[in-house]
Amino acid sequence: MEQPFSLTTELRDNRLVIATRGYINNVGGEAIAEAFRRHFAEGVKHVVIDLAQSRVVNSIGISFLIEMIETLQEADGRLIFTNLDPAVEKMLTIMGLFRYAGKENAVEDALQTFERQP
Amino acid sequence: MRDQLSTSISAHRPGTEQIEEASRLLAESPSAADLVSRLEHLLQLLYESARVRVSCRSQGSAFWSSRSGPVIPAPAEGDPAGISPASLEDDGESLRAVRRGPDGSTVWVTIEPESPSSRFTAADLPPFHLACVLFDAATGALLQRQHQKGLAFSLNQSVLQLNSLIETGIEIARLSSDLSPLSIALERAAALTNASRGCITLSRGTSVLEKILFPAGMDTDRRGSTHTISAEFIFDGVTTTFELFDKESRTGPVPFDTTDRLLLDAISRQVHAALENRFLHRQSLEKQRMEQDIAVAASIQQRILPATLPAIPGYDTAGINIPSKSVGGDYFDCIPLSDGRFALVMADVSGKGIPAALLVSSLHATLSAYLEQSIPLLDLARRLNSAVHRASTDDKFITAFLGILTPSSGHLETVNAGHCTVYWRKADGTVIELSQGGIPFGMLGIDFPYQSEAIALGPGDRLLLYTDGITEANDDGGRLYDSEGSLKSFFERQTPADARTFIADLIADVKAFTGSAPQADDITALYLMRNT
Repeated sequence: MEQPFSLTTELRDNRLVIATRGYINNVGGEAIAEAFRRHFAEGVKHVVIDLAQSRVVNSIGISFLIEMIETLQEADGRLIFTNLDPAVEKMLTIMGLFRYAGKENAVEDALQTFERQP
Repeated sequence: MRDQLSTSISAHRPGTEQIEEASRLLAESPSAADLVSRLEHLLQLLYESARVRVSCRSQGSAFWSSRSGPVIPAPAEGDPAGISPASLEDDGESLRAVRRGPDGSTVWVTIEPESPSSRFTAADLPPFHLACVLFDAATGALLQRQHQKGLAFSLNQSVLQLNSLIETGIEIARLSSDLSPLSIALERAAALTNASRGCITLSRGTSVLEKILFPAGMDTDRRGSTHTISAEFIFDGVTTTFELFDKESRTGPVPFDTTDRLLLDAISRQVHAALENRFLHRQSLEKQRMEQDIAVAASIQQRILPATLPAIPGYDTAGINIPSKSVGGDYFDCIPLSDGRFALVMADVSGKGIPAALLVSSLHATLSAYLEQSIPLLDLARRLNSAVHRASTDDKFITAFLGILTPSSGHLETVNAGHCTVYWRKADGTVIELSQGGIPFGMLGIDFPYQSEAIALGPGDRLLLYTDGITEANDDGGRLYDSEGSLKSFFERQTPADARTFIADLIADVKAFTGSAPQADDITALYLMRNT
């Protein structure tokens, strides 16, 4: 069963990696957005959200993710999701997130994508 | 002075291209904050030498803010009563307008001359008026875009809910899944309805059997919840109750709506159906396994029964076993002993199925071992009684007929342990019943004093051993084959030249009686006739 929400952040070459754990709902989405805003204000424009430990996302959580994608788009930045559970991947696909955000199997793959397409 | 300021503004007004670009940016503002910021930028271009201040106050808030600072005091003039058009205020000391932002905020625009001694004139008003019109148009456009985005999000969410409902149904119905359908269903129900947490309670009567929480370790105390919905079903005496707490929105908890209730009910019904299907599937597998076990047991039992009977000098023998659909407990044999004698055995285990087959195997093994030891018949009967009693449950026993035949003399010693009467037909046509013996083997765990009887089979004498599968064979009307002594009279009447013919005729007679009625029990018979 899904755990209570928590996240970790890591900056790698000015690229933000947010690893989540648990239900991405209002609380989870707000926590991700807050971590993002803090780093975005300092110039971070490439973000990886690693969802390896999150199997359940609701639409409130998705609305936070969409806002982040929009903010990054306006700033010529980019967001890539990694380690997606099939159910979560389907959910984000239906909600249209992958029209403006990327997806990779692993965090390292996402960082390499940023290297190739800065 | 006034003329001087107007001249100054006009002199520093930027080019049309710059203003057009600022106007375009204003029209394409992606958010309410950007809209205000871009309005301020446009005004600053239009009134380069003036001080432009755009203050915002969120709906319901008491504080004003501006781009230049998070919180500022309310304008000295006090709160505006409502929106107002661009106007020249205080004899040209400022230009002022109050507009409504796309998020419902109040936007208060004030433009003051850089120098306190300067004044605006009516000629300075049209650019400000134009900027306000552009702001209103941009606000409308932004609201329209947000509305369209909201519609798209809502549509996507509906597609997502429908898709998830279907996927959830498939996933929880997957019989091979290791995951509990309840856990999957709870996760999906919470996510689809935007519930912040959920719980499934399994209870029987008033006792709670199990609680499944989402997220794990959540607080199950509902006192803190303002909104809940629930659904439940009862299966196999267990009540399964789904509860979802606190529907989320970006502005705080909101009540669950009709769609949420429909979704929860649908998922609850899917789980109910999945549990029923799993139960039926398990039953089906269990039945399949039992049928396989029974088939194996039947196969083993068939191997215990003799494929051919040994030749007894001066005698002709024939036997048959026709098993019914289920594994029965009939057993017969004709076993040559090391001293030239033969053991004739006919037995029937109470009941059917695997337990009966196991007991037949046990009887066969025990009997074979004792016969090897040349134990006297009465001792053999006592030992078999003890052995079967030890090996079986209280409701299981074996009726059996044992006979030890000395072929040369025709001497036959018999014990009938509660079995069907064995018929002995003398050459002169007299039929004698052999029933001396005692209780069925295994019925009582005591050293039962069995009794035997001895006869002498002469040339032309015949012997029939059988089980109740013949006497109790029934027709479609439920009448038994031997209800009027048919078997004995058949045995008395039929004296074919060989044993095999007698057995074939007997079976034909029984089948003619039963007709299309299904065979309820094993049919077993052993026929022996002395030729010389």
